[in-house]
Amino acid sequence: MPRIFIDGKPYEAKSGQTVMEVARANGVDIPAFCWHPELSIAGNCRVCAVQVEGRSWVEISCNMPVTEDLKVLTDSDIVRDYRKSILQLTTLNHPVDCGICDKSGECSLQDYHYEHNGTPSISRDAKVHSTKFHKLSPRITLDNERCILCTRCVRFTHEVSKSKSLGVVQRGDTSLIRGSEDGAFARDDYSDNVVDLCPVGALLSTAFLYRSRVWYLKPTPSVCPGCARGCAVDLWHRKPEWKLHALEARKNVAIERVTPRENPHGPWICNKGRDYASFVERPRAWQAMSAGTPVATHTAIDAARLLIEGARNPFVLVSSWASNEELAAFRNLLAERFTALVKADRLAQPGEPMEDAFLIRADKNPNTRGALAQFPNEWEIGMALPADCDLVLVWGEGFDLASAPPKARTIVLDAWDKPTHATADVFIPLSIQTERAGTYTNFEGRVTAFEACFPKPDAVVDAESLFASLARSTLPAAAE
Amino acid sequence: MKHLVAEFDALRARFPEGFSSSMVLPCLRRIQEDRGYVADEDIGDLAAYLGVPRIQIEEVLSFYGQFRRAPVGRCHIEACRNVSCSLLGAERLIDHLSRKLGIRPGETTADGEFSLATAECMASCGTAPMVVVNGKYHESMDAAKVDALIEANRVKAAE
Amino acid sequence: MNAPARLLMNFEVTPASHLLAEYQARGGYQAIEKAIRTMTPKQVTDTVTTSGIQGRGGANFSAGRKWGVINLNDGQPHYLCANADEGEPGTFKDRWILENAPHLLLESMLIAAYALQVRHAFIYIRGEFDLPYRRITAALEEAYAAGFYGKPLFGSDFTCDLIVYRGAGSYICGEASGLLTSLEGKRGYPRNRPPRLTVRGLYQKPTVVNNVETLSNLAGIINNGPDAFKATGTKKSPGTRLVSISGHINKPGVYEVEPGRPFREFIFDTCGGVPGGRKVKCIIPGGISTKVVTGEEVDRIRLDNEDLATVGSGMGSGGMVVIAEGTCMVRLLQVLLRFYHHESCGQCTPCREGMGWMHRIIDRIVAGQGVPEDIERLKQISAWNDGNTICGMGDAAGYAALGILAKFGHEFEHYITHKRSLCDGNLECRASS
Repeated sequence: MPRIFIDGKPYEAKSGQTVMEVARANGVDIPAFCWHPELSIAGNCRVCAVQVEGRSWVEISCNMPVTEDLKVLTDSDIVRDYRKSILQLTTLNHPVDCGICDKSGECSLQDYHYEHNGTPSISRDAKVHSTKFHKLSPRITLDNERCILCTRCVRFTHEVSKSKSLGVVQRGDTSLIRGSEDGAFARDDYSDNVVDLCPVGALLSTAFLYRSRVWYLKPTPSVCPGCARGCAVDLWHRKPEWKLHALEARKNVAIERVTPRENPHGPWICNKGRDYASFVERPRAWQAMSAGTPVATHTAIDAARLLIEGARNPFVLVSSWASNEELAAFRNLLAERFTALVKADRLAQPGEPMEDAFLIRADKNPNTRGALAQFPNEWEIGMALPADCDLVLVWGEGFDLASAPPKARTIVLDAWDKPTHATADVFIPLSIQTERAGTYTNFEGRVTAFEACFPKPDAVVDAESLFASLARSTLPAAAE
Repeated sequence: MKHLVAEFDALRARFPEGFSSSMVLPCLRRIQEDRGYVADEDIGDLAAYLGVPRIQIEEVLSFYGQFRRAPVGRCHIEACRNVSCSLLGAERLIDHLSRKLGIRPGETTADGEFSLATAECMASCGTAPMVVVNGKYHESMDAAKVDALIEANRVKAAE
Repeated sequence: MNAPARLLMNFEVTPASHLLAEYQARGGYQAIEKAIRTMTPKQVTDTVTTSGIQGRGGANFSAGRKWGVINLNDGQPHYLCANADEGEPGTFKDRWILENAPHLLLESMLIAAYALQVRHAFIYIRGEFDLPYRRITAALEEAYAAGFYGKPLFGSDFTCDLIVYRGAGSYICGEASGLLTSLEGKRGYPRNRPPRLTVRGLYQKPTVVNNVETLSNLAGIINNGPDAFKATGTKKSPGTRLVSISGHINKPGVYEVEPGRPFREFIFDTCGGVPGGRKVKCIIPGGISTKVVTGEEVDRIRLDNEDLATVGSGMGSGGMVVIAEGTCMVRLLQVLLRFYHHESCGQCTPCREGMGWMHRIIDRIVAGQGVPEDIERLKQISAWNDGNTICGMGDAAGYAALGILAKFGHEFEHYITHKRSLCDGNLECRASS
């Protein structure tokens, strides 16, 4: 176990590590553009260079193996001067687009320029121009002028997503990042990760382009419900203090973008997770109904309670999008009355990747495993419920009401507006993932928590408290 | 590219195990020799044949000065303008060539017969200035020799 | 002084002298037999180390030390590659070997392959080479037909196969690690070290890359012994050097030079001096990446690495370019910077941005739009590249610029101040100004 010194302080390292790895693991933030913990070493940006004590020159730390008693300085005069020169060279032809660049506020080049006293360009020659807003794919826009050719994106497609679809064409200072001409990058289901990887504003999400300044947004930890992998993500939405008054209220509850949090497989999510907003920006159900007639929510709950008490053979189709907390509430409060079957609320859409060798799972529901842990039996499409089932409680999506036994009464709990809700005996609108907190269990058994992004609208109910209301009448008659 | 596959198979057999990727340069050179340039469809065909990512071939094509993805003149003239050739009159020679052919470096004559390009050091410094014509070295050149070279190639076209 | 030693150019070049029969008549392919029959691979490496031979591609590194890193018992394939990507402007001496002594290279490569336990060897030859390529491939066919390649040699189980691999027009593929990346069928991007190529080179296997001339000395070192080699040249630079001389010189060509003799003897006696008897303004001694030596310095020093070092330069690649009085050094530097800009692979920030920057500055000066700070800027960009790049090209461009600026800075000041050249922008050999 070699021991090295960084700026005079000792750190334990592992044989085979580089100085950069040891530094970053211990909170010493040596700057880096091209280095990334999940990618191979490129050593091309040169900004990470440090000074070995006793030498008068600098060497890149991302490719410097640790040796016993190695002593490096990350903040000597020599290193500081060196960094300023690298920043001069890196920004030589970099357009001063900050005012219109999406990356502003989270850009490594900006950050290092400030932290390491970058100075205005000393060049007297016009900047070299290049392609701006090149469509690398329908989802990703590339500005070659801003690109500093760190090649993180290229290495990502070769080493992580394995589409091998990005590369560098031409030579010297006319080098360009490009995708292969067969459009393979557009078929890379993980393409959007390059937006996070890009240290500057060269690679941008076309969907997010000019949508919002990042400092108006806050990230809320959540879980992607796109499949049973359950990647931990950050959902970005407007900070409450930056609430828009004049514009549509919808903007204040919009998910502006999605980024990965740390996951066991690395800081990556697939493109479906990036489109989280599309899960939630569908018409909501706001109105409780009794046999299709709009009623007050408590009226609908009373009606539902009556149906449940009067049923002799009730079935519940359990939502695989329910949180573990909601599932536990149902189990504790209502389950003994019901035969429970877990259903897949969502199936893969046409054209959607089913399962791959990396992250994408065929099960397109976030909490199948959590639901099965509470209720071991599954319902599959086409499975007929027994004829003597007299009440079907449909929790969530994915069950066609028309396939309920003809004599059964139906209670539907759903967040999303559908014409069939009016055909149920009782309909109660539910809250969605962004309006509450909870946990999901992914297919591997890993439990991940999500937090509420927005307050729950009054018109809808949380399933947990709904179940408590429905169960109240099972207690012995209590004094009101 | 199909008619070249047998040749490529033979070449592959000479390389050690696991050297498929190395075949990219020699195969592109052969394709270019055959067609005059590398066509778009050659890229996909070669990638599939060698089992290398398509982007690798696109990257290589744009990196190396000798590969081209569009035809050049039937008689392609490259004139060195590096240090020793410049010390021995390459600039004047290139001007002369340019005026004689009526094109600038990087261009092709309207009839597709001649194209002109500048080149960097060809290791002919002792016999400067020099030009390369369709890959063949012509050294110790001057305006008169260049004129004769152009005429000789014009005559060839007429035949 | 006695005549300089001849270790390589020691036969008369005729229309047939490059052929196998003639080479064998001169004693060819005896060294490899001697090595295999009487020496172990390690003994061959020790002999090379004892000889003190340094790399003749430009970097001047001890060949024996490079070879010594290879572990003969690591169970991995080892590769040997001859660097025939001669692209350093002013240099054409490897070309001489490929055209006139191809078998000398082929036999020497067998010796190296035996020492390093290499089964597959390569010659990476620049794609533009015409006659040199035809000669080396023809020679290889002869060598295969004669059983020197592709078959076990002299009763041993040592066999070597060789492939001549053509580049495709990129100076940076003459850098050893860029060369190997190109040989892997990719863009010729140089690599960061560590790891050294002798640890992880071609396809991440231990690889030795040596210059053509360096390798071509091996047959002689085996035949005549390392001490005979050390007896030539100087203590620090044993052996001879091939020097290719061009520019404003009466007898351009490739010469075999024994380091340690007066520089002016070579220029004026051997190579006939400058056309028209004009004065030497300066000489680029070893390829454009070495610093220029003034005419006055040429008069004083010996032609070897040690003396050249005293005036800030070196033997480099052996590409010597003579520049006569009356040549505009600003325009000359423009030619050089244009070259480096064109050849930068573009990987690392200081070179990629710096080469373009320097080129734009010199273009502006030549166009009469220079400003006084441009000179400092060129020096600064050179300093920013020195030691801070993936490979030596950034440094090289810096040396070219710094060398010319140090010794001819007044021409740049003049051009900037007066918006025109002190020498009428002239590059050809004309009357002294």
